[in-house]
Amino acid sequence: MKRVSTSILTGLALLLGCRLAMAELQPETLTVGKLPPANPHRIYLSDLGGLGHVVDGRIHLVDGDSYKYLGAIPAAMFALTALSPDSSEMYLATTYYTKLNRGKRFDQFEVYDTATLKLKSEIEIPAKHAQALPYKGTMVSTADGRFVIIQNATPASSVTVVDRKAEKFVTEIETPGCWIILPAASNARRFATLCGDGTLLTVTLDDDGQAVSQQRSAKLFDAEKDPLFVQAEHIGDSYYFVSYEGNLHQINVGGDTAVLEDKWSLVDDADRAAKWKPSGYQLTALHAPSKRFYVAMHDNAYDGSHKNPAKEIWVFDLATKQRIQRAPGSNSVAMALSKEEKPVLFTYDGMTAEFVRYDTVPELKPGARSKPVGEFAGLVQLH
Amino acid sequence: MRWFDDFFERQARNVALKTSRRSALLRIGRVMVGTAFLLPVLPFDRQPRAQHGAIDDGKHDPLDPERCEYWRYCSLDGTLCTCCGGSITTCPPGSEPSSVTWIGTCHNPEDGKDYLVSYNDCCGGASCGHCFCNQNEGERPGYRMGIHNDINWCMGNESSVYHCTVSVVLGESGAKAG
Repeated sequence: MKRVSTSILTGLALLLGCRLAMAELQPETLTVGKLPPANPHRIYLSDLGGLGHVVDGRIHLVDGDSYKYLGAIPAAMFALTALSPDSSEMYLATTYYTKLNRGKRFDQFEVYDTATLKLKSEIEIPAKHAQALPYKGTMVSTADGRFVIIQNATPASSVTVVDRKAEKFVTEIETPGCWIILPAASNARRFATLCGDGTLLTVTLDDDGQAVSQQRSAKLFDAEKDPLFVQAEHIGDSYYFVSYEGNLHQINVGGDTAVLEDKWSLVDDADRAAKWKPSGYQLTALHAPSKRFYVAMHDNAYDGSHKNPAKEIWVFDLATKQRIQRAPGSNSVAMALSKEEKPVLFTYDGMTAEFVRYDTVPELKPGARSKPVGEFAGLVQLH
Repeated sequence: MRWFDDFFERQARNVALKTSRRSALLRIGRVMVGTAFLLPVLPFDRQPRAQHGAIDDGKHDPLDPERCEYWRYCSLDGTLCTCCGGSITTCPPGSEPSSVTWIGTCHNPEDGKDYLVSYNDCCGGASCGHCFCNQNEGERPGYRMGIHNDINWCMGNESSVYHCTVSVVLGESGAKAG
């Protein structure tokens, strides 16, 4: 017993010695951390910031592998947000007041470096950028990255054109009754926009960013009875929209006027009987190489349920027009697919504000869930 | 925006008093196309209900104006002025009514009639953030701006800071659209 006591005392003395030695910390240097190199699973989550403080939105950066919070980009008030084509930059179109919540309003187009989160460029634009939820397509660069097109609403609809080469505001183009910007892949001076009468308006720019032609298409969708969700995915010039009733519309925007290339139903008679319909905000994703198309769906649909969280995510093969899988929806209201051969799908849960990470190969399968991120968040983008 | 405000109010009241919901929307659509000015709606959406949502204890009482299910709120997407110092028809002190509004059509269970409801946002000052609701009956994407609610309808005001939303009855809408 005595031997044991001695051992304990010796141990304690050693421990104390160690603690005393450890207590002498060396003077430290404060530094600024660096982001880890970006990978295809880096998530950018656009957040209006909460309805209790709409003046200070932000974009959250989260590592999709570890769900570690990486940093934030300030976004001010009702910002539209979009990654540049190569993801090296984050674009914002946002509003400031000279006295925070009052005074003179001015709107800016801003560019942040996604490697450093530093502001690279800021350009004043007409004070009419759409103070909308940050839907995909409300701000888009042309295929070559030269011009950025920004949706305006006063509530009259127009777009602002910014020249990234000259770093200046170019012009405003009226697009009455139309919404969302759909750039053509084959023509870096062309974009189309969806209009309230079921047509698309195609705008062609010159090399200075001025509009040289505006052409209306025929009526391509029924805005009254079966409206298209504005969030669209594309392969080349072909955009894939889903409608409230679950009809996929394939619309080509490459020519002078947009044309409907194909239209088919995502739901069969049994689905229709159970009232399965698409829903959410960012409700589709597309993997172009495999033509796998992902759609957030809910059943027992009713008038006004078109933004409900997903009950399931359905996977379609666009080549065969067949549904190939139904997977749990994880209450998704927004989703984005990584730019990889075997992509990962991240969904954002509208009830809990958590991300869910899905493998897509060999089949769509939900996996790790994050902690809650964001207060009033919308758009999910992946690097 | 005064002219637009007056213009819209006149249009809305005419529509409200004379027509059914469907033809009202059609007329509004024509006004929109004709003037390139589109009718209004409400603010955006979504946030986890648990954070600042209105009362949600499973009792869907359509007669309680502090609940999202209150009948007038059938297309209201924003925070309730009834929880922010105002009422169904008054903006909270220090805020201002939005210069543009949008019209919903909601069914009043008390008298069985459908009413056209003007959803004004209240703007300026601090944001409120209490009692968030997200109702979307009849809501459409931004190319039908007059019935779109994922946008801030304080956008036309001197201060576009969103505060909360009221719901003012304009009149009976006539026959319920199918």
